[in-house]
Amino acid sequence: MKQEGLYDPWYEHDACGVGFVANVNGQRSHQIVHDGMTVLRNLAHRGAIGGDSKTGDGAGMLLQLPHIFFARECEHLHISLPQEGLYGVGMVFLPHDAVRRKAAVSIIESVIATEGGRVLGWREVPMRPDGLGDMARSTMPYMAQLFASFGFLRGAELERRLYIARKSIESSAKTENFTTTDLYFASFSASTIVYKGMFVAAQFEHFFPDLADPDFQSALALIHQRYSTNTFPSWPLAHPYRYIAHNGEINTLRGNINKMSAREKSLSSPLFGEAIAKLNPIIDTSLSDSGIFDNVFELLIQGGRTPEHAIMMMVPEAFGDKYHISEDKRAFYEYHASIMEPWDGPAAIVFTDGVKIGATLDRNGLRPARYVITKSGKVVMASEVGVLDISPEEVLQKGRLAPGKLFLIDTARNRIIFDNEIKAGVSRRKPYRRWLEKNKIDLRGLFQAPSSVLRINREALLSRLWMFGYSREELKMVVQFMAENGQEPVFSMGNDAALAVLSERSQLLYNYFKQLFAQVTNPPIDPYRETLVMSLMSFVGRERNLLDETAEHCAQLKLPHPVLLNEDVDMLRNLDYNGYRCAVLPITFFASIGENELEASLRELCLAAERKIDQGYSLIILSDREVSESKAPIPSLLAVAAVHRHLVKVQKRASAGLIIETGEARDVMHFAMLIGYGASAVNPYLAFEIIADMKEHGRLPRSLRLENAIENYVTAVKKGLLKIMSKMGVSTIRSYRGAQLFEAIGLNQAFVNDYFPGTSSRIGGIGAREIARETLERHASAYAKNDAEIEALDSGGQISYTHHSEKHFLSPDVVIALQRAVHENNYALYKQYSSISNDVDRNLCTLRGLFTFKESRGIPLAEVESADSIVKRFVSSAMSFGAISKEAHETIAIAMNRLGAASNSGEGGEDEERYLPLANGDSKKSAVKQVASGRFGVTSNYLVNSRELQIKMAQGAKPGEGGQLPGHKVNELIAKVRHSMPGVMLISPPPHHDIYSIEDLAQLIFDLKSANPAARVSVKLVAEVGVGTVAAGVAKGKADMVLISGHDGGTGASPLSSIKYAGIPWEIGLADTQQTLVMNHLRDRIRVQVDGQLRTGRDVVVAAMLGAEEFGFGTIVLVTLGCIMMRKCHLNTCPVGVATQDPELCKRFTGKPEYCMNFMRFVAEETREIIATLGIRTFDALVGRVDLLYVNEAIDHWKRRGLDFSRLLATPKVPAGSSLRCTTQQVHDFSLSLDPELIAQSTKALEKKEPVNLFASIRNCNRTVGATLSAEVSKRYGLKGLPPDTIKCKFTGSAGQSFGAFLAPGITLELEGDANDYFGKGLSGGKLIVYPPKVSSFRPQNNIITGNVNLFGATGGEAYINGMAGERFAVRNSGAIAVVEGVGDHGCEYMTGGTIVVLGKTGVNFAAGMSGGIAYVLEEDQLFDTKCNLEMVDIEPVTDDLDERRLYRLISEHVKLTGSEYAARIIRDWTEMLPQFVKVMPIDYREALERLQKEESKETEVVAVTEEVFR
Amino acid sequence: MGKTTGFLEFPRVTGTYRPVAERVGDYHEFTVAPSHEDLSTQGARCMDCGIPYCHAVGCPVFNLIPEWNDAVYNGDFKDALTRLEATNNLPEITGRVCPAPCEPACTLAINSAPVTIKQIELAIIENGFKQRWVVPYPPRHESGRKVAIIGSGPAGLAAAQQLRRAGHSVTVFEKATRLGGILRYGIPDFKLEKWVIDRRLKQMTGEGVAFEPNVHVGEDISVRYLRRTFDVVLLTVGAGLPRDLVVPGRELGGIHFAMEYLTQSNKTVSGEGFAGETISAKDKCVLVIGGGDTGSDCVGTAHRQGAKKVYQFEILPKPAVWEQPWNSSWPHWPNILRSSSSHEEGCDREWSVLTKQFSGKGTVTEGAFARVDWRKGAPTGRQKMVEIAGSEFSLKADLVLLALGFVHAEHSRLTDELGIDFDDRGNIKFRHDYSTSTNGVFVAGDAGVGASLVVRAIYHGREAAGAIAKYLKG
Repeated sequence: MKQEGLYDPWYEHDACGVGFVANVNGQRSHQIVHDGMTVLRNLAHRGAIGGDSKTGDGAGMLLQLPHIFFARECEHLHISLPQEGLYGVGMVFLPHDAVRRKAAVSIIESVIATEGGRVLGWREVPMRPDGLGDMARSTMPYMAQLFASFGFLRGAELERRLYIARKSIESSAKTENFTTTDLYFASFSASTIVYKGMFVAAQFEHFFPDLADPDFQSALALIHQRYSTNTFPSWPLAHPYRYIAHNGEINTLRGNINKMSAREKSLSSPLFGEAIAKLNPIIDTSLSDSGIFDNVFELLIQGGRTPEHAIMMMVPEAFGDKYHISEDKRAFYEYHASIMEPWDGPAAIVFTDGVKIGATLDRNGLRPARYVITKSGKVVMASEVGVLDISPEEVLQKGRLAPGKLFLIDTARNRIIFDNEIKAGVSRRKPYRRWLEKNKIDLRGLFQAPSSVLRINREALLSRLWMFGYSREELKMVVQFMAENGQEPVFSMGNDAALAVLSERSQLLYNYFKQLFAQVTNPPIDPYRETLVMSLMSFVGRERNLLDETAEHCAQLKLPHPVLLNEDVDMLRNLDYNGYRCAVLPITFFASIGENELEASLRELCLAAERKIDQGYSLIILSDREVSESKAPIPSLLAVAAVHRHLVKVQKRASAGLIIETGEARDVMHFAMLIGYGASAVNPYLAFEIIADMKEHGRLPRSLRLENAIENYVTAVKKGLLKIMSKMGVSTIRSYRGAQLFEAIGLNQAFVNDYFPGTSSRIGGIGAREIARETLERHASAYAKNDAEIEALDSGGQISYTHHSEKHFLSPDVVIALQRAVHENNYALYKQYSSISNDVDRNLCTLRGLFTFKESRGIPLAEVESADSIVKRFVSSAMSFGAISKEAHETIAIAMNRLGAASNSGEGGEDEERYLPLANGDSKKSAVKQVASGRFGVTSNYLVNSRELQIKMAQGAKPGEGGQLPGHKVNELIAKVRHSMPGVMLISPPPHHDIYSIEDLAQLIFDLKSANPAARVSVKLVAEVGVGTVAAGVAKGKADMVLISGHDGGTGASPLSSIKYAGIPWEIGLADTQQTLVMNHLRDRIRVQVDGQLRTGRDVVVAAMLGAEEFGFGTIVLVTLGCIMMRKCHLNTCPVGVATQDPELCKRFTGKPEYCMNFMRFVAEETREIIATLGIRTFDALVGRVDLLYVNEAIDHWKRRGLDFSRLLATPKVPAGSSLRCTTQQVHDFSLSLDPELIAQSTKALEKKEPVNLFASIRNCNRTVGATLSAEVSKRYGLKGLPPDTIKCKFTGSAGQSFGAFLAPGITLELEGDANDYFGKGLSGGKLIVYPPKVSSFRPQNNIITGNVNLFGATGGEAYINGMAGERFAVRNSGAIAVVEGVGDHGCEYMTGGTIVVLGKTGVNFAAGMSGGIAYVLEEDQLFDTKCNLEMVDIEPVTDDLDERRLYRLISEHVKLTGSEYAARIIRDWTEMLPQFVKVMPIDYREALERLQKEESKETEVVAVTEEVFR
Repeated sequence: MGKTTGFLEFPRVTGTYRPVAERVGDYHEFTVAPSHEDLSTQGARCMDCGIPYCHAVGCPVFNLIPEWNDAVYNGDFKDALTRLEATNNLPEITGRVCPAPCEPACTLAINSAPVTIKQIELAIIENGFKQRWVVPYPPRHESGRKVAIIGSGPAGLAAAQQLRRAGHSVTVFEKATRLGGILRYGIPDFKLEKWVIDRRLKQMTGEGVAFEPNVHVGEDISVRYLRRTFDVVLLTVGAGLPRDLVVPGRELGGIHFAMEYLTQSNKTVSGEGFAGETISAKDKCVLVIGGGDTGSDCVGTAHRQGAKKVYQFEILPKPAVWEQPWNSSWPHWPNILRSSSSHEEGCDREWSVLTKQFSGKGTVTEGAFARVDWRKGAPTGRQKMVEIAGSEFSLKADLVLLALGFVHAEHSRLTDELGIDFDDRGNIKFRHDYSTSTNGVFVAGDAGVGASLVVRAIYHGREAAGAIAKYLKG
């Protein structure tokens, strides 16, 4: 699929189920092929189906070359096949067109001949396309197998020749205009072969009759089932690739590609000799991230590294100080950090070279990988357990891959090799540790405590402040705040200032970019609680041949982080160490020559950098220190990007490090961008001088020493960088560098292509001349002033409104006019308000302001759909009770309910009392209930009391980030609805810990549908490039509605840089969504909602034309209720009682439901008026009518002239049978759900509370068991549910995901077998018991019984697990009690309540962000405190009687319910065992408990709060 | 940003006045300056609003109020001064005489008591002078272009300083003996002592502004000369033509325009002296007609001259009495009963009073009045005045001061010879860039917009200066 409208195939994502089956002893059999097929089938629910409801997203299998089979087949075809191992087989996708195919074949044959090989023959692959979907069939290639030999070459040598031949064929094909679509080698190897295509699992085995042939034998089968966000079928993009299959996403792909291409020139290897040039380009950029990964993995292996070595280089585990790992291993990773950056992102990768087969997990462990080893030597590894039936007696071991761990089977040596053994071997292949010690450059004095002496020349300081566009606001709110607090400022409400390209004020180049962030397809990381997996360390200098390893490779400068102090740069300037030298290049241009001079200077700069590299310099410092009245600074970002891009282009980028010394950088966004576009380190010299100047003028607290202030500032930048990286799911700065994780808004294509190639910029805009003009404006302002004026920096006005500064669309006039209109219920006044709002001259802040409607013949207003009907499409945006006051929250709910519209609970839960109607018939119940990453108060009862369940993937003001409600804001009522304790801080994690990828989202949608079948399920996304493809994935995941939020949505508290710089206007995101959904034939089954500072009927009409059916209003609703844009929500000091929990301030709330209702009706009425003039009668007829939208040519401003909306306003082609709006419904498949049967059998219990006992068998396809049954209980009995054990069900087998989700009180599920991920998700009071089959012989406490993320968001109930659980056990638990015999990493993270007993091992980072609840851990090795995150908890001995009794009781209960022998032993030896237990006690929680005990929960003082407590 | 919770912790405390008995004995200012500590506490009350309505809606010159409140709270008076001077050339004037529309627009005025903005403003600038921070800032470059400014009132002074600092050669012509226009002659000393103006003029002279007092352009020098010598002429001549009261007996002696009276008093106090008949309130029954600020100033002046009794009549109805510290019309200027310091010194005030005629033999001795009713009239909804039958009454008075506002700029030989157009109301017609119908001639302040506040004149002076600088750049 080509780029069309806003759709760009680059942004497609996929995720999936992966796995393999192998015989450890290398025994080939057809059974393995058959097993592989079974596994594939049982992972079918992890894949997805396209718009034609039949075409799968792809499935495939990688197998050993079946010699017996081919020998037989070739005999029929009269091909004389040599001995096994002496020939290679290509699985080739060719065009159906005979002429084209002939051309392709002749290319292939001639290249093979040139390469010294011999084509033995071709075999047409039998295919049975009858079961395929139309979309798959229309793009199905002709598949043929090519047999070739290279004399008597065999083994690695033959593979290498096949590799060279294939790369040469690819190059020749390209010159002959063949693309991957019509000439593609799925594999070309003497040891492996890949069968794959656009299938769902079930179609796969039917399609390829080969695979059913008993002669088709293999000792291993690597399988993959794909779920992609797009549905444009592409056969080559199905997995597996030639060596790997991948479940996950490479977030840093752009940087990895650039860095790889920069290395091509330096590649050399005796294994290839001259032929190495034929391998370029190493990467085929038309492939997906996984395919590109495979390209590089292949190079490393063919270059002589083992698969395990290669995978350790590309996906290194975390090796920071927090990890107890061997010195040699740490040195291995550090050494390789100087050779290659990590391919960063969530990943489960399975790989094989035909002999070894293995798997690894990324450092975060964000994908599941479970394995079973049988006594007969078979290994099954897959995303889920239970995918292949293995009798319990046969099981030797059940395990899972832990984060960063490797697992390998060597079929040649008949061995399973575990992580420690593999890595110990690889890390000692060479003396990496010695090499490092000797060669890496750690400058003495560098990065030590900053000295307090800084050169400041006040006059020069002031003129440079003007030149670099500093405002007073920035000095105070950014630089000073960071220097004082060591973190970025936090702010509230959305960003309503003008977009940079619409601003009339001179803008820094940075302001034209927005950060990308992860949503759905890829989880963000928590940079505070999970900082241990992240790293800011990097090597800077000349990189060497990737295919070699020598001591010199690591002769580079090691930077612990990328912020350089002024003294550091001074030292580097004079550096000459072992030939490591540093060149300084000024980045300035002559101001007098004017706007054209900028580009000329850039060209000169690039060439100068290249010359320096040729002269042998290892480090280049770009510096704007030399600015003067005649010389203006080149924007630092432009300088870095230009030099970086130039050096990549001439393939010299790897030869030197790039450091930028600039007065421009101050905000964390600036640092992130400089690094994201290629800088290795940044020296913000002016920011340091500003801090020194502040100190000198007494503007910093007296107690704060200058060196500490500077250190604080650097700390703030570091934390900010981690945060920005983490929101894209990137863990290391090494891979973040050059990854370009930004998009541009308002820069023209030519400019972007020249300096920021690969960056998305979809509405055109300004270019180099305009950038120069803005730079020169700032430069001129620095020298035009007298002494009085130069002191008075511009106010800024980006954050708070200032008359002289930036435009804001929530201007004072708008607020005042609106409040009057709704108070007086006066439509004429409302029209005044809307005319001010829509006034282009004063308020051109948004893209929609530039649009106008097509002149049309109007119709009488009376003929248009009524306002009462239109208003039902309106919703109030999600605002949590906690962010806003109870008064405001309930007023909104009442108003929206009266209108028959919907209010949104936000993520803070909801008080059960609000479910009851009021005496006057009003209702305070929120129709839409949000399910956010914190899962506060998400119980079965909460879910059934809703019309819509909304999964909040991101929030406009801070997409990709979590949030937190500081303890003092958590009063009695908030604690009650959030199921926590007053005074205890509540953290929302950045990701949903049950959504690490698109198939996980589909699973959560399924969970919610099961928990309330009557409610529709919606997914809230934030606009960014590629949001359309994510929305397509959401549609395929069967959501009923997708909400596209603009970047400017409000917030109760967010880091300032996130408010300003993350996400894009909804206009682009909505158009992208509409176009992608329509083109994919998905739009007809999903509704689309939009929000983000919608204010008027005009906004509604524009949004409808761009494709929205429903509309959310947030900030403006608060304004109708009295909000006057104080922007103090984060401080709890809202003076009008809207966004505060201070009871005194809440009394000042004067809002009434009528105000909100008046507003909604006015907007609906205005909407009617507009659509009447367009001649449209019903709202439905308006949706998607983008043809009625035009750009208003009358708006003329020099910066706007280059804007180009043709892609945004493109009309998508509507496929037959599809529509521009939602006309039908999602079809949900509950056929494998066990609940209907359970409910039928529970009638007595449900109706009469009489106990029932049920039995059933279960397997991994039976998902979300218990959720619908719980809904039935909640509907009847509310939060309280049924008496304990009223409904008891016993299951045997492997349970599917989300076993016992949202289980209500009174239900007990007992499972003999094991369970997959999300066991006990949202447990709401029910009881779960799981133990291995009684006949099995392994020791449960050492084997994985339940998957990852158990009890996520549980609010109550009990769970007893006889065995180990995976990572992230009891994350966000707020009330459940559980006993488990071992857990993986990140146990009890973010927990706020409940009790967890761990009877065995825990992984790292236990109790991170745990603010409540208690954990008891059996600590036999006395090392628990090294694994526990001690930031918020204390570890205490269990000495208290109460504790002991509770612990004893819980373990006894565990023994009783699960029959655990291990636990029984603990009870038997109680007096010996008890002292080995520790109690993990959150500090906050202890205080809250003590407060509660004293019963004097005093009003906590109102103090300034910040988003982040982490230091 | 002030103190986060300052508004919840500290009450509003305004400055104090000298006692009435003491202050009516002289013409000195009557406000008592608060201590820096008290000011810091008051600054702490500022909430640093996301939209600062004081600045954006209240203040005509868009003073950066939250910024200097914050600086004062932090004790950084130097920074406060920088921010204050960034928008206002004459804060020592506005800090004394401005009615401070910023305060009722303060967000705290929604449901609490506003920040004492005006008092903070005055303290910042007075401290600035005291610390000798307010020094001349001559331009760094000379543009070589020349601007003549006619009129040395607030608009003229603000424009002169701005243009001079931008590097232009500036000459201010003033027909009176001394500089300052309405500031010097219109406002009594007890509200604005005249050394305050001199102090500012000294700074401006130091910056290189040339002042030419005693020059009546059009009379003393020709318009032709003016146009030939200067690249630009800026008219800041004010709206000096007072509104008259057309009733029988108006021609009697003892009936004067307020401005005539105040000017004379000011000249007396400063020792400048004047020609013509003395108007004094000593031992007289004084009637001030007109309830505005000028009327108020007449009341205060009359007391200081030793008036026997002072009355003030206003034709409009008595505004609502509002004792609460918050503003029910937030953020707009509330129409409520205000009592100035002069009223505190004693005055009988009457509203809804229509003046019918004056009587007396050569000099006024009595006035005849009637009460009126104001009713909402259809269709405009505007209030209409209806005389109440039988409500006539009379009042003995031997000095009547007419403070009924101003009509428009005086039309003079200057305006005639410049050939500029006037608008319907008689003000000088101008475009959004302050240019008049004659090329190179600009107007700012009351002359263009009609009589208004000092602070508005400053704003227009600054904006016009900006427009002129742009014009001169070409």
